[in-house]
Amino acid sequence: MLRLEDLSVRFGGLTAVNTVSLSVGSHEVVGLVGPNGAGKTTLFNAVSGLVKPSSGRILFDSVDMLRTPLHRRARMGIGRTFQVPQPMHELTVRENLIVAQRFGTGAVDARKIDEVLDFTNLTDKAERHAATELALTELKALEVAKALATNPKLLMLDEVLAGLETNGKRRFMGMLKELHEKFAVGILIIEHDIETISNLCHRVAVLNFGELIADGTPDEVFRDPEVMKSYTGASDA
Amino acid sequence: MSELILQALYSGVLQGGSYALIALGLALVFGTMKVINLAHGELVLLAAYMAYMVESKLGLSPLFAIPLALVLVCTCAVLVYFLVSLIRKDRELNSLILTYGIGIILTNAVLLIWSADVRSTSSAWFQDAVVVGPFYSMRSELLFFVVASVLMAGLWWWLSRSWYGRAVRAVSSNRDAAKLMGINPRTTEIVSFVVAGILASFAGVAIFSYGVIQPAFGHALTVKAFIITVLAGIGSIPGVMVGGLLLGIAEALTVTLASSALQELVGMALFLLVLFLMPNGLFGAKARRG
Amino acid sequence: MYVSKTGLAVIAAAYVAVPLLLGSNNYVMSLIVAAMIIGGIALAWALLGNLGGMVSFGHSAFFGVGAYVSALLTMKAGMPIFAAMLLGGVGAVVASLVMLPVLRLKGPYFALAILAYAHIFKIIATEWSSVTGGSAGLASVPRFPELMGFDLSGKTGSYLIILTVLLAFVAAYRAIRASHYGIALRAMHDSEDATRVVGVNSTLLKALMLFVSAFMTGVVGAFNVHYINFLEPDYAFSGLWVTLPIVAAIFGGYRTILGPLVGAVTVYLVDQLIFKSLIPSGHQLVLGALLVAMIIFSPGGLMPLLRKDSRRKHAAA
Repeated sequence: MLRLEDLSVRFGGLTAVNTVSLSVGSHEVVGLVGPNGAGKTTLFNAVSGLVKPSSGRILFDSVDMLRTPLHRRARMGIGRTFQVPQPMHELTVRENLIVAQRFGTGAVDARKIDEVLDFTNLTDKAERHAATELALTELKALEVAKALATNPKLLMLDEVLAGLETNGKRRFMGMLKELHEKFAVGILIIEHDIETISNLCHRVAVLNFGELIADGTPDEVFRDPEVMKSYTGASDA
Repeated sequence: MSELILQALYSGVLQGGSYALIALGLALVFGTMKVINLAHGELVLLAAYMAYMVESKLGLSPLFAIPLALVLVCTCAVLVYFLVSLIRKDRELNSLILTYGIGIILTNAVLLIWSADVRSTSSAWFQDAVVVGPFYSMRSELLFFVVASVLMAGLWWWLSRSWYGRAVRAVSSNRDAAKLMGINPRTTEIVSFVVAGILASFAGVAIFSYGVIQPAFGHALTVKAFIITVLAGIGSIPGVMVGGLLLGIAEALTVTLASSALQELVGMALFLLVLFLMPNGLFGAKARRG
Repeated sequence: MYVSKTGLAVIAAAYVAVPLLLGSNNYVMSLIVAAMIIGGIALAWALLGNLGGMVSFGHSAFFGVGAYVSALLTMKAGMPIFAAMLLGGVGAVVASLVMLPVLRLKGPYFALAILAYAHIFKIIATEWSSVTGGSAGLASVPRFPELMGFDLSGKTGSYLIILTVLLAFVAAYRAIRASHYGIALRAMHDSEDATRVVGVNSTLLKALMLFVSAFMTGVVGAFNVHYINFLEPDYAFSGLWVTLPIVAAIFGGYRTILGPLVGAVTVYLVDQLIFKSLIPSGHQLVLGALLVAMIIFSPGGLMPLLRKDSRRKHAAA
C-alpha cells in the first residue's frame, strides 16, 4: 500500500533520511524504531507532506505522493498522529473530529463520529475543549481519533504510547490492536519500547542516522547484534 | 541617452547608500527579534527633522544634528524595543500592529511639531554640484554616500569581529543554540535596536541634506526598507547592501527613462516580482515558506 | 439563523429609532454614516484577521478599487447603482487575486506585501487618467436613487443603506464562522500543520477569507463613493481607510463580530468630537497611542474584556 523508494530528506547539510526503501502492506502493522534523531518523524513528515523529500519516491496505492498536494493525502487514506499531541485548540473534541471527517473524507457522518468517540473512550469528553480540558492519555486518544475520523487506510502513529503510565499504556495497546482489526487499517508505528513493538507488529524497520539498517520480523531484527548495539547504545528508552 | 542612463546609475548608487542603511536596521532587528519594526521609517524621519531643526532654528549645518539625532532616535528605538517586549502572545502579528501604532504616533508628533509642509535644506554648501569624472551630484549626496559606506564597513567589521556583533549574528541564526553558548538574547535584541537607531540617525540626516522631507515620508521609508530586505532575502546582510543600491538605481532609472510619478511603483513592482518568482530573495538562503 | 431578543431590539432601534430621533440632524447623521463606513471595513479586516489569521495593512486597495469600479460602471456604462456596488465588491475580489501567491508566505510578508500592493493601486489610479480622471478625480458620481418616493441619497437614506449592508455582512460572517469551513479556520489558528494533515487545504481557505474580506471592503468603498459623489486617488486609497478600521477592530476586539462595529462607532465619534477639536491636525496621534495601549494591555480588545467582567459579576451574584 505504502512504498518508499530510495527516499532522502536533507535539511541544508544534514541528511535526516538517507535513501530509505520501505513498504507497508494493507492490513500490516510495521514498527519503526531507532534512536532519537534517527529520522523517524522526518520520514512521517515526508509521507504526510509536511516536508519535501530531496530525492526518491513515495507511492501510496501506486500513486506518486510527491505530486499529490498535502491536503489531498488525507482523502487518499493517509492518517497520522503527532508525537506532541496537536489538538485544534479552540475547538471541542467533537469539532476536532468534524473537521477531520469533513475535510478528510468529504462528508460528515455523525454516526461514524460517535463510533470513533466510543472507540477511543472520548464519548464523555466530546463537548470539552481539547486544549484545556483533557488529560495526556485523552489527548493521545484524540490524536488517534482525529486520524481515524479521516477514514485512513494507513495510520502513522508517532510515539502514541510515550509518556503514558503502565495502565494507560496497556489500555492504549489494547485499543491499537482492536483498531487494527476493527477498522482494517495498515499501521506504521514509531515506538521505543521493544516489548510493545514485538507484541504489536508484524514487521520492524530500524533507522539509524537516517539509514535503514534492518527490516524484518521482530524476532529477526531484535536478535541482530548490530541493531541492538545502535538501539541500546544511543537510546535512553 | 547612454550618458543619461550612466548618470542615473550614479545617482541611484548614491541614493542607495542611505536606503541600505535604513534597510540594514530593519533587517538587524528582524534577525534578532523576528519583529518587523513598522516604525523604523519614522525613526529615520525623526533624525531628518532634527537636522531641519538644527538648521532652521540654530542656523547650524545639519551635520551638527547628528549627535542630537543619535540620542533621540536611539532612545526611541529602545522604547520601541521595550513596548514590543511587553507583548504577551502572538508576538509576530501583534508586533506588526504595535509598531504600526508607534509609527502613527511618531508621524503625527512630527506633524504637530513641524506641520505638514515639505522641508528641505537651505545650505548652499550641501547643494553645490560636485563632478566626479563624467558624473554630477550634489555635494551632500556624495558626502553621505561615503558616510554610508564607512558605516556599512564598520557594521560589517562589528558583526564579524566584535563579541556583541557575533552574538547578534548567533541569535539571528539560532536563538536556542546562542542561549546555550551563554548569550543573553535580550541584550542582543536591545543592541540590535540601538545599532538600527544609529544607522537610522545618519540616514535621516542624509535624507534631509539632499532631499525633501514631510511627515508622511516615514511610512514610505519603512516600505522601501522592507522591499530591500525582501530583495536581499532575509538574513543576508551583504544582500541588504546590494538591495539598497538596486532599489536606488531602479528608482533613478525610472525617473530618467519614464516619469517621477512612477518612482514609487518600480520598487513595489520589483518587490512583488521577487516575492513571487524568488521567495527567498536574490541572496537569501533560508526558506520562508510555511 | 438565531438572533437574540436584544439583537432584534437593537436592529429595530437602528432602523426606526435612529432615523426618527436623529434623522433631522444632518451633522450627527453624517458622523454616524462615516463611523459605519469605518465599521464595515473594520469588520472585513477583522474577518480576515480572525478567521484567516492574517494582518492586512492594505485594505485601502480594496476600498479604492470598489469605489472606482462602481463609480465608473454607473458613470460610463449607466449601470444601476446597487448592481454596480456589488460589482465593486467583485472588482475588489479580482484585485485580491494578485495577492494569492503571497498567501503561502508566513507572518509579516502578507501584511507588507498587501501594503505595497495598495500603493501600486493608488499610483495606477493616478496615472491611468484616461479612465480614472487621474489625480483630478471623478466628479458628480451618481447619487443613490429614489425608492418608492423616498430619497435614498439624503443622510437618512444613506444611513439605511449602509445599515442594511452591515447587517448583511454580520449575517454572512456568522454563517461562515459556524460553517465547517469556519471551524476548520479556527482550528488552523493554533495548529496549522495538524489541520492540514487531516485534509484541510489551508491556502484555499485563507484565499476564500481574503476574497470575502476584499468583497466586503469593496462594497463599502462603492457605497462611500455614491454617498459623497466624488472620487480622487489620494482619497480613495488613503491610509486612513486602513488606520481607522485597524484601531476600531483592535479596540472593539477583532476576534468578535460586533467588536469592530462597536469599536468603529466609539473610536470614530470620540476622535471626531473630542480629539479633533483638541488637536486639529495630528489628532491621529491619539489613535496610535490607543493602538499601542490595546496591543500591550488587552490585545483581545474591549468587548471580550467587558464580557469577562460581566461574567465575573454574574458569578459573584
